[in-house]
Amino acid sequence: MIVCLAVVGHENNPLYIQSFTESDDALKLHHIVHCSLDVIDERVNNPKKSSPTINEAFLGLLYPTENYKVYGYLTNTKVKFILVTTDLDIRDADVRNFFRKFHAAYVDAVSNPFHVPGKRITSRTFGERVSTIVKSFGLSSAS
Amino acid sequence: MIGVGKAKQYANVLDRPIGKGKQEVSLSAFAFLFSELVQYNQIQVDNIAELERRLEDAGYAVGARVLELLCHREKGNRREIRLLGILSFIHSTVWKVLFGKVADSLEKGTEHEDEYMISEKELLVNRFISIPKDMGAFNCGAFVAGIVRGVLDNAGFPAVVTAHFVPVDGQHRPRTTILIKFAEEVLQREARLG
Repeated sequence: MIVCLAVVGHENNPLYIQSFTESDDALKLHHIVHCSLDVIDERVNNPKKSSPTINEAFLGLLYPTENYKVYGYLTNTKVKFILVTTDLDIRDADVRNFFRKFHAAYVDAVSNPFHVPGKRITSRTFGERVSTIVKSFGLSSAS
Repeated sequence: MIGVGKAKQYANVLDRPIGKGKQEVSLSAFAFLFSELVQYNQIQVDNIAELERRLEDAGYAVGARVLELLCHREKGNRREIRLLGILSFIHSTVWKVLFGKVADSLEKGTEHEDEYMISEKELLVNRFISIPKDMGAFNCGAFVAGIVRGVLDNAGFPAVVTAHFVPVDGQHRPRTTILIKFAEEVLQREARLG
């Protein structure tokens, strides 16, 4: 179950944060997203010599907290996508697939001439596409 | 040759694949649009430098979006961190997507360490434009310079990019050169990466 999705710009400014739970712990999720930014910076600036390539976009599991797992994805323009989920047995391939679709939706939102880079993404279409992707992710991983 | 090697014939027209569609826009449509862009900006400003700056800003927005689009579409998941990497990316991939061909040449400047040049015999945007004498050294290639600056800036290589006419002997029209001057931090980072 995905609980939160965030897009963070290259100055670590939030561009889009959306939580998908009914309960009211949006603030806690924001906090988790914020902490995972540090992990991303660490990974990017000090690449482990054992990692296959330092230019990989998908960063994988950033850190597991008590009941959440946080995945990260870094695009070429230093824009970070962060996914917070409560599923315990998620496949890597599923998450990669999810990020690929999410990246496509993000590129479409940014290509909007009325979108100011650096400001929050306010496109309604983007929001709808994201919720569709999230729903299909929930169904595919549950099967 | 026409007609040789026909594609597979489908019995039913509904079975034919839809196809990706034409990836091109007509040159005349773009030329008209670009001419309107230049005219619109020309009315609003008083001097050449401001006009050049406006065209460059327009190009910057295009460059930012082109980078996002291309990185998602073409480059798999490699992020460029080397100078030559990003320059060859611009020189081939970006040029191919925007103008249908790779740029004519990519050179390193001889006087300064941080200068690189991309030259083109004739920029697509300048094809139907001739600059009046009283505008001096103005070049509508400032739009393309803006695109390059947008790509470099968003990829993490801040630079100052300008477009210049370079007269070539034996040729009637001068060649256009996009001059890229990287910021100090880019060179230091490059030196650190070895």
